[in-house]
Amino acid sequence: MRKILFIARKEFRHVMRDPRSLVIVLMMPVIMTLLYGHAINMDIEHVTLAVVDKDNSPSSRDLTGRFFASKYFDHPTEAISDFEPEAILRSGHAHAVLVIQPEFGASMERGDKVRVGLIVDGSDNNVSAAVQNYAVGVVQQFNMSRIPPGFELPGVAIAPQVMYNPDLRSSHFFVPGLVAILLMMISALLTSITIAREKETGTMEQLLTAPVTPMQILTGKIVPYLLIACIDGAIVIAMAQIVYGVPFVGSHLLFAGFVFVYVSTALSLGVLISTLVSSQQVAMMLAIMITVMPSVMLSGYVFAIKYMPMPLQIISHVVAARFFVPVVRGIMLKGSDLASLLSQGIGMIVLLIVFMSLALLRFKKRMG
Amino acid sequence: MKRQIIGFIHKEFIQVFRDRNILRVIFVMPVVQLLLFGYVVNTDVKNIAMRYHDFDNSPLSREFIDAFRAGDYFAPEPSDQPIYELNRHFETSEADMVVVIPADFSEGFADKKRVTVGLIADGSNANSTNIGIGYASRIANQFSLNQLNIEPPVEMSRRVLYNPQQETVYFMVPGIVATLLTMVTIMLTSMAIVRESERGTLEQILVTPISTWTLLLGKTIPFAILGVFVMAITLALGVLWFQIPFTGSVLLLAGLGAVFLLTTLGIGLFFSTVTRTQQQAMFFAWFFMIFSMLTSGFFTPVANMPPFLQYLTLLNPMRFFLVIVRGIMMKGAGLADLYPETIAMVLLGGAIFSLAAYRFHRRLL
Repeated sequence: MRKILFIARKEFRHVMRDPRSLVIVLMMPVIMTLLYGHAINMDIEHVTLAVVDKDNSPSSRDLTGRFFASKYFDHPTEAISDFEPEAILRSGHAHAVLVIQPEFGASMERGDKVRVGLIVDGSDNNVSAAVQNYAVGVVQQFNMSRIPPGFELPGVAIAPQVMYNPDLRSSHFFVPGLVAILLMMISALLTSITIAREKETGTMEQLLTAPVTPMQILTGKIVPYLLIACIDGAIVIAMAQIVYGVPFVGSHLLFAGFVFVYVSTALSLGVLISTLVSSQQVAMMLAIMITVMPSVMLSGYVFAIKYMPMPLQIISHVVAARFFVPVVRGIMLKGSDLASLLSQGIGMIVLLIVFMSLALLRFKKRMG
Repeated sequence: MKRQIIGFIHKEFIQVFRDRNILRVIFVMPVVQLLLFGYVVNTDVKNIAMRYHDFDNSPLSREFIDAFRAGDYFAPEPSDQPIYELNRHFETSEADMVVVIPADFSEGFADKKRVTVGLIADGSNANSTNIGIGYASRIANQFSLNQLNIEPPVEMSRRVLYNPQQETVYFMVPGIVATLLTMVTIMLTSMAIVRESERGTLEQILVTPISTWTLLLGKTIPFAILGVFVMAITLALGVLWFQIPFTGSVLLLAGLGAVFLLTTLGIGLFFSTVTRTQQQAMFFAWFFMIFSMLTSGFFTPVANMPPFLQYLTLLNPMRFFLVIVRGIMMKGAGLADLYPETIAMVLLGGAIFSLAAYRFHRRLL
């Protein structure tokens, strides 16, 4: 134990000697949370809709008015000169084009069934799905308004009641997820250079001749960063509550325990990377490549894991953030207890053991 | 002069290619990641896990449940929890919505009263909950109209251009390619100069009679060539493996891709001139990568972001490049459609290279 602390103190001096890096490490999560808490916002609004109204009757104006009365649709910023829907979409001036045929109003007066057309730009799936969804809603609302007065409409009404996040704020979903991916990336990046630096500067031999075991070296190297990463975690969580008003329903103690395990896992991944390569540059590049995209794409932060193809769902188990994202959301928003998050905890611990053993194996091989 | 530049670039090439591990990171990792993440499905809300309590249990209420089952929006199943503990469904995440049909459902309907059905939703995923509630009320409306034999006067026909099947791969691959290119180029160049100064070899170069611009070009061109290779490989993979349609001009994409690479390389170079250690440079590079990935319009449209962030995205070359890639590949857009993005990237690239040169000059003095 004393030997571990000895290594830890040495590593701690390394950190303190470069205060600029330390400031960066502590400031970056703050800046990132401020910037990106609202960046990922899936409530698609401000869809630009171009209208080609060949009828221009009171009825058709009523219909188009309803589109723009909702918060979802905006007029294009540039005047549309070309009325060919495809040209409008290709130029990117609008996401969708609503086409109303000449006889629209007259047919409606006669009580005929009429059609309107919606042509959607499918190149951004997020937008195109939302556009269609909103447009169907607007038309249905328009239809309901056309039921003659005096004709009482009974039927079924849905009374929705939303739990945990009654205002349906996107940030309540994405800010906790951001915590998970930021911690993963910072931690791995921090430890990825520890061993590689010793190799590069030639101080590795000194360390190896000291009377310490490889296990003591590796744990000792993790300790200072564990402290830094936990501070980072606390800052980001505090910001989530103060800046974004994300509630914290569950137990703080349970949460702290999970953060500790998660950060250890991420740090040990960094150490593993560090034992694999021989220069700081490659170590950091590898750390970025291994953590940035996988923790964003395969963790459930943006894309739900349960909708992915089976092989990807299986592969996602090597991404530690996959286990931590539901933990943060569960504890903060729903107040989940240890029992319902047990499998996530076990997943993280298994990864921690695997990363540490592999790192140890590599490290020993290098010595022998 | 020319021989000097070529000689210097030659030296840089040797330096890069000497480290096999770097090459592996640059070439193998992007390919592997593209192959994996191309299959990630984006959040198209389908088959929402739904539990129901049917206290009426009449033919009409069962028909109502079946209306939810039709289409692939919901997957309703009877609830196995007592009604007073329905939040267990949400705590274990096994269901996202619970429908409660009151005992007087069919009776009220027959009396031509308006009956209310309860819908309790887990709001933690705000987006899909919102969409789900929208679907649910539309299904209820349609159900009412059908039961009352009212035909809606206006119907909407929809047509989706460019990606009618809404294949997520078409949407994902351009975003992944742009992200990977940004990562690789910025990581490489951000280290370029700081590495020399950290190792003390910068002085050696400075005493040779080469100009600042030669030095900066020499540090950029090898990485530009590597970047072009990575771009070609990943895009070819997108077309050949993922079968993404390529309707526009390959030449135009290659040209604009080169402009994009120049901006990201310039940004990396700039980081290299303002940092003191490789670690600092890497942190800057990392920060910029996350910025460019999250604010590019890859995950969510730029128009959705708060105004201050929308202004910041003007500093993000990937934001423009994504419009260009999607435009050329899927819509067959030409330069006339894409000139605002092109001008923005050229301006950005020019500005950042000048800034890097200026910083480098000052550092020497």
